[in-house]
Amino acid sequence: MRHARLPFPRLHGLLDDAVPLRTHRFGHGDAAEAATDDAESDVLEAVRERARGVHERLAHDADVFAVELLGATGSGKTALVERLLEGPFAAETVGVVAGDVSGTDDADRYRDHGVAVANVTTGKDCHLDPQRLDAALDGFDLDALDVLFVENVGNMVCPADFPLGAHRRLVVVSPTEGDDVVRKHPLLFQACDAAVINKVDVADAVGAEVDRMAEDVTTVAPDTPTLRTNARTGRGIEDLAALLDAARTDAARHHG
Amino acid sequence: MHELTVARRLVDRAVATARDHDADRIDALTVRIGAATHVVPDQIAFCIETIAEGTPAEDATVRFERVPARGECACGWAGELDTLADTVAGAPDRRCPECGGGVTLTAGTECGLTRIETPDPRDTHP
Repeated sequence: MRHARLPFPRLHGLLDDAVPLRTHRFGHGDAAEAATDDAESDVLEAVRERARGVHERLAHDADVFAVELLGATGSGKTALVERLLEGPFAAETVGVVAGDVSGTDDADRYRDHGVAVANVTTGKDCHLDPQRLDAALDGFDLDALDVLFVENVGNMVCPADFPLGAHRRLVVVSPTEGDDVVRKHPLLFQACDAAVINKVDVADAVGAEVDRMAEDVTTVAPDTPTLRTNARTGRGIEDLAALLDAARTDAARHHG
Repeated sequence: MHELTVARRLVDRAVATARDHDADRIDALTVRIGAATHVVPDQIAFCIETIAEGTPAEDATVRFERVPARGECACGWAGELDTLADTVAGAPDRRCPECGGGVTLTAGTECGLTRIETPDPRDTHP
């Protein structure tokens, strides 16, 4: 079987996982058709396969518990991780991957907490992908890490299609985004393992109903737990830590 | 938003497949898109047309197969999922119609090239 070279010189990272394409053909009147093998020609399945590879590297090879945080810019992802670093995870060796379209603001905040940080700027891309995460992991001494937090780009659409291989995906929203934010981004909530409604204390001031947001999570993504936090006061941080702790115990049991 | 990335991959696949079959032109390519993805067919078609310029796929008709979301539940139910009402994205309703619990997706996250159509090589290479 011949493997044609990809025709584009400027290959996006996604293409590097290209696998040999198996085809079979059959006559069809004047034309010919080639049916492509499903699993191998599926772009998003290739992404998921890469994410499984990252998971393998983190969970199996290095025994690192990985948590991805997603949600809009300003929802409080960084602040939540900061509270976790100061409190429940203070005794652990933690690494953070800060994904942003540009800048090092989040990475600088994390560095102030004395943890290992990789800043990943995606340029014009709207999401982290497993390949970029995999490359960022090279900057850590993974064997020394207990926990890795991965903060995705502030975007509520694209990351839903691009899992990264973390043990848990947390979507963080806040009432300032409007209390219909969950209904507007159903696929993201369906792609995550837990939802965190942050900044609950400002809900009244912005006329948002936190209960409605929580109900929407249940409607859109049944069985997905919802937590209520305020990263500025530390409210709910213990609940979040407990949720992650349970997930970690689960993972340890699963991986033996 | 990531249609360009996806489209580039699809065109690469189509061109490589055509080459494997000694075809120097692609008349049509078919892309399968699951209902539980954020990939928008119109945008994919536009991106494919742009990217395909100068390749054997530049005049290809782009066709889509929409894959409905399907799921299965711990209670034993399995089937096609309804679309969630009142959502902009037309996301699948992940509630089990039998027990109300959450269902696991078994289909609907696809995004790939399923087939290409090329001129018959007996005509193009007599």
